[in-house]
Amino acid sequence: MNEHPEAEITLRWNEPEASYDVVIVGGGGHGLSTAYHLATRHDITRVLVLDAGYIGGGNSGRNTTVIRANYGIPEAVRFYQHSLERYRRLEEETGRSMMHDRKGLLWMAHSEAGVRRERARAAVNQAFGAETVYLEPDEIATTCPEIDLACGGGFPAVMGASFHQGATARHDRVVWALAEGAMRCGVHVAPHTAVTGLIHEHGRIVGVETPAGRVAAGTVVSAVGGNATLLADMAGVRLPIKTHPLQAFVTNRYQRRFDPIVASGDLGFYVSQTARGQMLLGAEIDRQPSYSRGSTYELLASLSHRAITVLPFMRNLRVLRQWTGSCDMSPDYSPIMGDTGVDGFLVTTGWGTWGFKAIPAGGECMAEHIATGVAPELMAPFSLDRFERDRTLADRGSSGTH
Amino acid sequence: MSGSGEFTFDAVAVPFVPGDHLLTALLRAGLHPTGGGTLCVEGHSPHCVAEVDGVAYVHTCQTLAREGMLVRAQAIGDAPMLPSTDPLAQPVAVRNAHHDVVVIGGGEAGRGAAASIGAPIVDAGDGGEVVGIFPGPMVAVRADAGMVHTHVERVVVATGVLPLLPVCPGNDLAGLYTPKLAERLQAAGVDLGRTVTITEPPQRFEGADRVQAVVVGDERFECDAVIVDIGTTPNDILARMGAGLAVDAVGGASEITAPPPCPTEGTVCPCNETTMAELAECWDRGFTSMELLKRASLAGTGVCQGAVCSPYLQSFIADRTGSLEARFTARPVARQATLSELAAGRHHPAIARTTLHAVHEAAGATMDRFGGWWRPWVYSDVDAECAAVRSAVSIGDVGTLGKFIVSGPDAEAALQRLVPTDVSTIGPGRSRYVLMLDERGYVLDDGMIMREGEGERFFVTVTSGGASVAEMWVRDWTADLDVRWMNVTMSVGAINVTGPRASELLARVGFDQPLAMLRHVEADIADVPCRVVRLSFTGEVSFELHHPCARSAELWRSLLDAGADLGVVPHGLDALSRLRLEKGHIIVGQDSDYDSTPRRLGHDWMVDLDSGDFIGRHAIERTGRLPLDKQLVGLEGDGPPPFEGAVVWSMDGTYAGYVTSAAWSVTLGRSVMLAWVRTVDGMLPDEVRVEGMVARRAELPFYDPEGVRARG
Repeated sequence: MNEHPEAEITLRWNEPEASYDVVIVGGGGHGLSTAYHLATRHDITRVLVLDAGYIGGGNSGRNTTVIRANYGIPEAVRFYQHSLERYRRLEEETGRSMMHDRKGLLWMAHSEAGVRRERARAAVNQAFGAETVYLEPDEIATTCPEIDLACGGGFPAVMGASFHQGATARHDRVVWALAEGAMRCGVHVAPHTAVTGLIHEHGRIVGVETPAGRVAAGTVVSAVGGNATLLADMAGVRLPIKTHPLQAFVTNRYQRRFDPIVASGDLGFYVSQTARGQMLLGAEIDRQPSYSRGSTYELLASLSHRAITVLPFMRNLRVLRQWTGSCDMSPDYSPIMGDTGVDGFLVTTGWGTWGFKAIPAGGECMAEHIATGVAPELMAPFSLDRFERDRTLADRGSSGTH
Repeated sequence: MSGSGEFTFDAVAVPFVPGDHLLTALLRAGLHPTGGGTLCVEGHSPHCVAEVDGVAYVHTCQTLAREGMLVRAQAIGDAPMLPSTDPLAQPVAVRNAHHDVVVIGGGEAGRGAAASIGAPIVDAGDGGEVVGIFPGPMVAVRADAGMVHTHVERVVVATGVLPLLPVCPGNDLAGLYTPKLAERLQAAGVDLGRTVTITEPPQRFEGADRVQAVVVGDERFECDAVIVDIGTTPNDILARMGAGLAVDAVGGASEITAPPPCPTEGTVCPCNETTMAELAECWDRGFTSMELLKRASLAGTGVCQGAVCSPYLQSFIADRTGSLEARFTARPVARQATLSELAAGRHHPAIARTTLHAVHEAAGATMDRFGGWWRPWVYSDVDAECAAVRSAVSIGDVGTLGKFIVSGPDAEAALQRLVPTDVSTIGPGRSRYVLMLDERGYVLDDGMIMREGEGERFFVTVTSGGASVAEMWVRDWTADLDVRWMNVTMSVGAINVTGPRASELLARVGFDQPLAMLRHVEADIADVPCRVVRLSFTGEVSFELHHPCARSAELWRSLLDAGADLGVVPHGLDALSRLRLEKGHIIVGQDSDYDSTPRRLGHDWMVDLDSGDFIGRHAIERTGRLPLDKQLVGLEGDGPPPFEGAVVWSMDGTYAGYVTSAAWSVTLGRSVMLAWVRTVDGMLPDEVRVEGMVARRAELPFYDPEGVRARG
């Protein structure tokens, strides 16, 4: 299963018309998934998706493509497990290959506190339908023989791990297949069209302003990543979001051999081998909030160092490319979806480092909410007003990595 | 310069002469590293890569031949195997250099720029491959001798131009060279046979594996080699990577040139073998911008980072849209380095050790990493350690606590801002247990504030491992005040003496004055100057002895010797965690969660809303009026303790929360737990189920609720 030049998906672009039922700002995974589900599940096709750049050019194209549901609270486990199961069927549903690969995710602990964290993760996952087990070191060695459990003596040894039925998929293909599916139903997608303002009328948001003109909308959805707070500000909505950079890099291509996704919470790093054969590495978010998409040497050096501590076979692999995405972090490390208190303006944000895995479920829920006016049960706990109501959803299973 | 010798290419011995690059020696021997494709000397054509001494994707045109090198062919499009064994950890040297300005590129423009400003030159021809320009600016250079990190004020990119590689049928044949490579080969005495130089894009190359003829326009030239001199394109990857940094491009690298004519056939991206036909198909499928076309066709995502194909992608798009689109974003790395090379000079953050580390190890302790420190988890028998604390006396190493001296005229005002308590009421010689909140009213840390003597000087302790975060936090929030924070975590040791016979033990080592709860005093103990703090985490009479950490081992020894007949033994973290659990004391980070307000933690008694303004006050006031949704509560059960992290279920089978701390209490004869439990209709359940066991909600503390024992 190797990548090849695109020969399946066909995309057709539109100039915005004057008026739509729904205008979605942000042509990434969540925006396009919302459009796709509006069209395919609710027959709402007077929909426009706008993007300031090209579709999938934000975090949808910058994440490390991990699909997992091993979160720490029931609401999150149910939501992400549903998303993970949707991913398993998404290729069949769209008729498009996404290089979905059920490779499993090994999440290591190097301390008593880490062991406690991974045992807890397995317990709450099992209770709510996510397939996660706890592994002792000898089982880790069997699952991934490349791991140096002793970490070369330079870092505390691996004491245990959780193993979750995670997967990966090619992010661009997911974005394009959803875009194509939506376009086929008549959804319009206009790339390179920035939203410069929102149109207010009697306390409602009734459309967007773009350099190409005004577009009226029954509902405006912000599916923006990185600049989520800036767009919400135009609507008069203050989001409890801080945006932090997250960097990643890939090596050159090698024959596919390395099976699970391997992560270490204590080291702050994770790695998987892509369908193309590249080793793909990511780290935790930068502590300093920033919209920067610049790459730092600090990351290149420290992440390389962390990786070869656990996986010394990677020592002589050469790095091909480094890049940076923006993580919109909420105070409780859970996403924010739905109403904002401003009529006609909805958000899907707070996707931190877990947006890619939520694309199918997030779009499905947002679409149902828009179509029915009622937040579906899966997404209702993640409402924005939970902060005002003090019903926050602290999730230790999120943490700051992928 | 290397001497003559041999290296092996797959199984073949290849001789080389001094100054040969691997590529030169291979071509002299009639070999081609990847089988075919146009070769250059700039390290951008991917057709010369090979695995060299276990490192794949090495440009043989950049690598000087050395005796005994093991070179393996790497066919384009056929990815190499991942190493099946771990390569040896080769130490890679790393050197830091500092200059005002550095010039990248030793060509005409580079030499000119360097001469006019007196700046040093980094040039690939001298073996210095620039990995990238990073914020700083910092220029990272890979060389065979190791990595050089050059820190500068400004970078001048003078990387010049690159030769255009031909895109047409047959461009994957052997025998195609750029003019500079042909020069290098001829100078090295490599016989190229019959050569033809072409100066305009060819229709096609003909041949089986090697080129036998080239067709340009209507003419066909038979040959053994073609020198492809069809133009150049700016070598601007570093210039583009430096956008937004103090980077100036000069010469060819800075020029915007018209792209070459758009080819109609042939492989355009040699790294991923993307053809012009595939490019056209992607375009027709709607991938109609530079970035989308790159992702859909994969052109530009290979080893050369688009150096070969990006001018053609530009002409391809310009042909269809009539406008010249910028090249795609240039990201590191410009030249590749291995993970080992990039990791050179890196270390894991030190896991701190107290000055008692060796003492603990000699005593047979199992050490665990906790909060950034190595700590004794258990010495030999956790039950015996607990029993010593409850019935005799025990000592523990708490030198890991974060410790600060806070001084200056605004010290009290600074602390007042940081904690939700009235700091003015902490008198000299007194101390108070406090929480530190963030703006959202969530608990960041807990600790003790002690006022020293008269005046504005305090000693503050915070959670082990919390010190570095706490330091950033407090400095950030009090930058406008006249206050000094001195982090003395690493220089002040701390030993906890705890148990009903703690006072008796201290009397034997020279401390026999009465000291009430939450008071502290300076005193010499076993001749070591100490601050003695009366408090209690274990629930028994306890004294924390703060002292110069260089004398910790001496003090530890004196306490053990003096108390031998009292049954004194040291206790580890496991025992301490169980003992404090019996008292219901929380460990921030273990029992708290990301959204733990004092109220949720059952610690709202620690928030004094009459104490003026403090961080988190607004949030606490607001959320305090709302119904409580979950709380950290005490649970007890008759069965064995669950694991920490176990799910807590309501009796009706719905999720209620999870256990954060659990232990079998020998003292109480039952399991005791701290757990997050959700309210139902505003009420906390009286009974829940944990791992099949019915657990009852219990008032905290479990042990000695009146606090009689701690007061002694």
